[in-house]
Amino acid sequence: MANVLFLEPNILLAQAYAQALTLAGHTVRVVQGAQEAIHAADTALPDIVLLELQLPAHNGIEFLHEFRSYPEWQHIPVVVNTALYPVRIQAARQVLEEELGVVDVLYKPTATLADICEAVRTYGAGVAGGLYPGSAS
Amino acid sequence: MNQLVTQAIILSRTDYGEADRIITMLTPDYGKLRVMAKGVRKVKSKLAGGIELFSVSDITYIKGKGDIGTLVSTRLSVHYGKIVTDLERTMAGYDFIKDLNKITEDQAEAVYFELLHRTFIALNDPEISLETIRFWFNAQILKEEGQMPNLQTDDEGVRLEAGKQYTFSFDRTAFVADAHGKFGAPEIKFLRIVFAGHDARIVQQVQGVDALLKLAMPMVQTLRLNMPH
Repeated sequence: MANVLFLEPNILLAQAYAQALTLAGHTVRVVQGAQEAIHAADTALPDIVLLELQLPAHNGIEFLHEFRSYPEWQHIPVVVNTALYPVRIQAARQVLEEELGVVDVLYKPTATLADICEAVRTYGAGVAGGLYPGSAS
Repeated sequence: MNQLVTQAIILSRTDYGEADRIITMLTPDYGKLRVMAKGVRKVKSKLAGGIELFSVSDITYIKGKGDIGTLVSTRLSVHYGKIVTDLERTMAGYDFIKDLNKITEDQAEAVYFELLHRTFIALNDPEISLETIRFWFNAQILKEEGQMPNLQTDDEGVRLEAGKQYTFSFDRTAFVADAHGKFGAPEIKFLRIVFAGHDARIVQQVQGVDALLKLAMPMVQTLRLNMPH
């Protein structure tokens, strides 16, 4: 089971996601802002990060650049779960995947709780299986 | 103790040990600097707030014996906060920083600090399109690197004439007279404004800027790609 760091500014949505992931057996920490997420990752290494790109103050791109600048966090899988239209993400997708290590992008209005759980199961499991050795907990 | 004070823009930050970071900065007084910032990973560090990206900070540092100095204090001078309200502009901002970091690998004149600062100002202004900023930025790089196209005379040294049409020769980085060429007086005047301009806003205000960008963009992009870097 994965240790999930969930960066989601909408508290109600965050609670729903956290509940679903907890029921699926994962440990979930929900944070609302980028700096808070950096602090949370520094406190306890997550196996996977779920990220909304639209955040108050610092946005998700800033978070990713900061997050990836630490060697021990460079291999932790990040799944983007955003309300941004896919067409807007499309232009940035190559950078997100190749430079910022985003393993999957979910479109929030259509992604179900089951999709979120599946993403955590798929990519969070990679940690235990040695897929992301830098994030082994 | 050699303590120095200057302005700085962050180019990159890399990890050093448990709590420290090595910060690469562009400064108007000392060019490119690498300084050790101690304790910036801790959330409550006094230094952390002063070393934001997309900002200009006033810094004090001690010049070390080696290449890396030690950061003593930082104070945020100006933060271009609107950039991060737009994801495309944020990503473009990172691209510009990365580009300048690469270009200034061997050298870092004060002009590059000014260029990055003016780029942040442009990115922070939603009235200036990203396409205009990219074009203007690349033109400024070409100018500073001595790769600017000749906008005064043609390939034979004859002054460019208002009534003539031209095509651009990449081999000669000059215009060649061509009755079917796409560059006439308005296009060449536009390029002169872009290359002379210290402000992307001026470029944005040129009448018909979108069509002019569309025509001139491939030329500037190709020159950038061919730049010896």
